Amino acid sequence: MPDRYKDAREKFIEELEKDVIESLNIRDDKELSTRAKQLLRDETARDLSFFVDSRLKRVVRLLKRQQRIKSKLEKKEKWEKNTVQRFNIYFRIQHIMLFTSVVLLIITGLPLKFPGATASRILMSIMGGITTQGIIHRAGALLLIGFYVFHTLYTIFNKEGRRDFMLLLPRPRDFKDVFQMIKYFFGLSKEKPRFDRFSYIEKFDYWAVYWGGIVMVGSGLIMWLHNLTLRYLPKYVYDIAREAHSDEALLATLTIVIWHFYNVHFNPSRFPGSLIWWHGRLTKQEMIEEHPLEYERIIKDKQDSND
Amino acid sequence: MEKINFILFIAAVLLVPVSASSQPPLYQKCLLCHGRPGFKKMMPGGKVLELFVNKTELEHSIHSKLHCTDCHADVMEIPHSKTPGKVNCFRCHYKDNPNNAKPANEFFHSIHGRLLEKGDPKAPGCQDCHGGHNVQKVDSPLSTVNHQNVAFTCGKCHKQQYDNYIESIHGTALLDRHIQSAPTCTTCHGKHLILKPDNPEASIYPLNVLNVCSKCHENKELIKKYNIPGGRISTYRESFHGIADEFGSVRAANCASCHRAHFILPQSDPRSSINPKNLAKTCGKCHPNANVNFTKGKIHVNYKSKSTGILYYIGMFFEILTLSTLTLLFIHILLDLFRRYKAGELSKNHRHGE
Repeated sequence: MPDRYKDAREKFIEELEKDVIESLNIRDDKELSTRAKQLLRDETARDLSFFVDSRLKRVVRLLKRQQRIKSKLEKKEKWEKNTVQRFNIYFRIQHIMLFTSVVLLIITGLPLKFPGATASRILMSIMGGITTQGIIHRAGALLLIGFYVFHTLYTIFNKEGRRDFMLLLPRPRDFKDVFQMIKYFFGLSKEKPRFDRFSYIEKFDYWAVYWGGIVMVGSGLIMWLHNLTLRYLPKYVYDIAREAHSDEALLATLTIVIWHFYNVHFNPSRFPGSLIWWHGRLTKQEMIEEHPLEYERIIKDKQDSND
Repeated sequence: MEKINFILFIAAVLLVPVSASSQPPLYQKCLLCHGRPGFKKMMPGGKVLELFVNKTELEHSIHSKLHCTDCHADVMEIPHSKTPGKVNCFRCHYKDNPNNAKPANEFFHSIHGRLLEKGDPKAPGCQDCHGGHNVQKVDSPLSTVNHQNVAFTCGKCHKQQYDNYIESIHGTALLDRHIQSAPTCTTCHGKHLILKPDNPEASIYPLNVLNVCSKCHENKELIKKYNIPGGRISTYRESFHGIADEFGSVRAANCASCHRAHFILPQSDPRSSINPKNLAKTCGKCHPNANVNFTKGKIHVNYKSKSTGILYYIGMFFEILTLSTLTLLFIHILLDLFRRYKAGELSKNHRHGE
């Protein structure tokens, strides 16, 4: 390259740098502006293009992306600092499996419980008739059975699974907590019961699913494989299975829609719901309020591991 | 023969004014020939075509006031030169006709009508069921299609179904015990609009069978009067077969799938398809390898009746469990809301954690 172009080039690059830094508004960010200059130099060093405009745009785009990633990382770091991982990935997968299957089973099961209702007929026609309904219901059932298998394996083989199971067992403290909660409700006490990892509410939900699962999967399998089960069992066992399946389904549906939805969606401090089922994290504020004993233990464990 | 006919014809022509003035039945002229017993014709195939018309029969029929040519409309002269064609009843029996004849247009849509239109020689026309010159009002005891006789009329072609029907509880009730509420062929299959069971509009299409049976088996008066087992329809509707039927499954068992269509017999009869001895076989039509376990327990289960024993108590257990659980949970929710209200959490400006 002839020398007489060199000065012009330097000048051009300097101006470009100024432009870029101005346009990105990163004058104060030393790291970013140095990086921007570097990128610009790399780009122009290859050749002094006549397509400066497109070069510039590309550089700006690159820089903006870097900036976005950086701020995202910072945000995430800050959030992680302020939150506690309450549910691990296995826990969350189990919950997603459970609610997906339960929603499918409720939607496809309710029309059979109330065959005369208009809503049932509409629901059934949306699903495309009783054959498709049967297929979806059985797919939901398989997912639910998969969930129970997963959960059993998790409870047996995973350390956190074993710990959670032990923590979920009912103990005298839970009854004290209920009593304390009632006192708090009536204003007789200003203190809410201090819960550990699982409050009596969550323990109730867990054991309700446990009981419901045995009833639903057991009776459901008897009906699904009726040609097999009726070979060995009398017909009234099938009738019992049907009655239990239908009744327990209604109990579970109502409990989920009224109780669980209130606790996680409709109560004023949660409405319209949170993303905890996705990321499994609670803010420190929420942890202190809802699971103070667990929070204290986490802090203690952290300190112990640091020591 | 030819000569005699001619003389008769002349006589008939001469008699016309006389017969008109004294108002004897209008068919007098035709009966000059057709009124003679043994008046018949040899057909080319060697078949004998009976041409005799019984005057008494005609006079007692519902059509006694009509002239022969009202039905045999293609006869324009006497003696007629051509063989008259088939009588078309729909000259009168159409909707809103001026003669007040019962309309029967539905017949064209029926399986009989459609086969007739296609030219099926076996397909029945009006006369095959209602009779020709002796056609009677449907409620007349002489009618071939009244409640009592129609089964025999249908049985002329549908032999096997007739044989089954007369043995069945419905057939014996009607034909032997003369219970007029008992169903005959037309009660279930319809009258003129008889359709094949695979036609969705047919009264005996799988999805419509329940409606047909419930006409009597859900009728409280009939159930009481004849001591028919009640609650059959409601328990079927609650069963899985009934629910599948409700949602349009043709595969699901309907009443006739188990009880049979024509050979319906009470459970106590050893020939009955629902006799405990035969039940496994009946269920086995759909459920492969059905065995004696199918008979252990009721088929028409009334879940709300105490007579079902354990089922009733299981239902009660779940009812109590559901009600008590939900009451407690509901109280918990209300108390929680009450507490939040007291604490001012429900006001608009309040936000959690602030």
